[in-house]
Amino acid sequence: MSDQTPARPANFLTELPTNIWQSIFRNPVPQSDRDRSATSFTNFFLHVQPVKVHRHSLRLTYTWGLGLMAFFLFLILAVTGVLLMFYYVPSTTQAYDRMLDLRGTVAFGVFLRNMHRWAAHGMVAVVFLHLCRVFLTGAYKKPREFNWIVGVVLFLLTMFLSFTGYLLPWDQLAFWAITVGTSIASYAPVFGKDIKFLLLGDSSVGQEALLRFYVLHVAVLPLLMSLLLAVHFWRVRKDGGLSRPPEEDEVFPAAEVSVVTATAAPQEAAAVALAVPATFKQALAPKLYGIQGIVRGPFTKIGNVPDRSVFSWPNLLIAELLVFLVTVAGVLIVSLYFNAPLEEPVNIMHPPNPAKAPWYFLGLQEMVSYSAFWGGVGIPTLEVLALLLVPYLDRKPDGIGKWFARERLLANSLFLTFVVINIVLMVVGTFFRGPNWEFVSPW
Amino acid sequence: LVAAFSNLVFIKPRATYGLPNRFSIGKPGDYPSGSRLTLEARRICVVRDGDKMAAISTTCTHLGCIVAVSETGFACPCHGSHYDQDGNVTGGPAPKNLPWFQVRLAPNGELEVDKDVEIEPGTYYDV
Repeated sequence: MSDQTPARPANFLTELPTNIWQSIFRNPVPQSDRDRSATSFTNFFLHVQPVKVHRHSLRLTYTWGLGLMAFFLFLILAVTGVLLMFYYVPSTTQAYDRMLDLRGTVAFGVFLRNMHRWAAHGMVAVVFLHLCRVFLTGAYKKPREFNWIVGVVLFLLTMFLSFTGYLLPWDQLAFWAITVGTSIASYAPVFGKDIKFLLLGDSSVGQEALLRFYVLHVAVLPLLMSLLLAVHFWRVRKDGGLSRPPEEDEVFPAAEVSVVTATAAPQEAAAVALAVPATFKQALAPKLYGIQGIVRGPFTKIGNVPDRSVFSWPNLLIAELLVFLVTVAGVLIVSLYFNAPLEEPVNIMHPPNPAKAPWYFLGLQEMVSYSAFWGGVGIPTLEVLALLLVPYLDRKPDGIGKWFARERLLANSLFLTFVVINIVLMVVGTFFRGPNWEFVSPW
Repeated sequence: LVAAFSNLVFIKPRATYGLPNRFSIGKPGDYPSGSRLTLEARRICVVRDGDKMAAISTTCTHLGCIVAVSETGFACPCHGSHYDQDGNVTGGPAPKNLPWFQVRLAPNGELEVDKDVEIEPGTYYDV
């Protein structure tokens, strides 16, 4: 803050750049803990995050930054997607030409399309890996059951966003993948045919379908996704931050702490006090326990609680910046070296042989080649239902916050089996299927 | 709830803009006896055997790909379903036989196929 007296016009001018800056950023670069917390909660973009974050949540080897990475990929997709919208026309006669224009006349057209395509592939993969991380660390258990469900729905939305985007280039790959995909939907019981008709707006893939997929892809699904992302993030904080093993919450004495405030559950703090060794107890003994507010549930503690948390500024921000840089760098490098494929324009007379879906749907397509109903509808529905019900079936509180915890051997083995089966199906569909979906050797 | 339902009603089109399901395929004389001609845009195969004519669907009953005419009947390039000359499934994941559509002579002397009317496979129209 400046302590100049605002009287003379000369001062008025010399103040100029500073007072604008200060009106935007109320806090100077923080020097004290008070400033650090103020920086977090007076900034619109930073106040999404807690003021303090547990050390365990910052461990790279615990989260691998996968959730953040998925979010950053979504941001990249939103930005590149909006830019591509300036040149795209959802019309069967123009869409393909517009794809060629991206190559020929639009500045950075190819590069933006590459970024959009590879970030989309990356997002499907990263969201799935994030789901695996959460399962293998038992993070979906109480109190985070509902956030797991929101996460599974976000995963399905990611797949559906990718599927709707697949039609837009209007090339052979797009047309036949959507023909096959929507036919799979028509195998759903009772409403199957109606779902297909509503999706396509006609009896087969054509102009109506292109327009519908476009609207879903650029408006409906991204809005839903943003809404659920907000709920997902909000719940992370309201459920007490990222999951961690209970022993991480044990109090250890910090020299500078003079007052201990137990905000969440006084009896819990007392129990913890009993558990700490005698010397620590002595150090804690003269301290005053005051209840600053009675809050139910697993909320993050506020104040100088002697726990293992650190200030979000700068610790969390640096970690986030790192993940952001890695994500952007990855997408840029891949987009520089590999071009997004564009096949022949749509020819509704001749399906390519074999007609393959994108890699993450090839497991489905492989199952569909055995039975359309069970492969395309039955088994996927059961898998999704199983995923949604997991936190309500597996309720033992053991092994939360640890990778491959011994206590969770059965659950983790079952989950990994499910993952491996799906990956094997994908590999078979990708490399071992040739014309007429007959078995071929890739060598 | 009413709003959600009315949205569903709204997005269900009352008119479609694609190819019509009832269309003319030309005069019977265009199809010599013993021929099997596929009309790719219409997704049918017109079969003529002497004076008997029929229209068999070439849309795979599995997942809607277009089946190609093969030596033994029809074969689907997408997931490997096979059908015999009459459209009966002989292999692959296809759950149903290829449907046969109604063929009739219109008053102007041209043949008319109606894909909304499926007929018993093996039923021919005498021209």
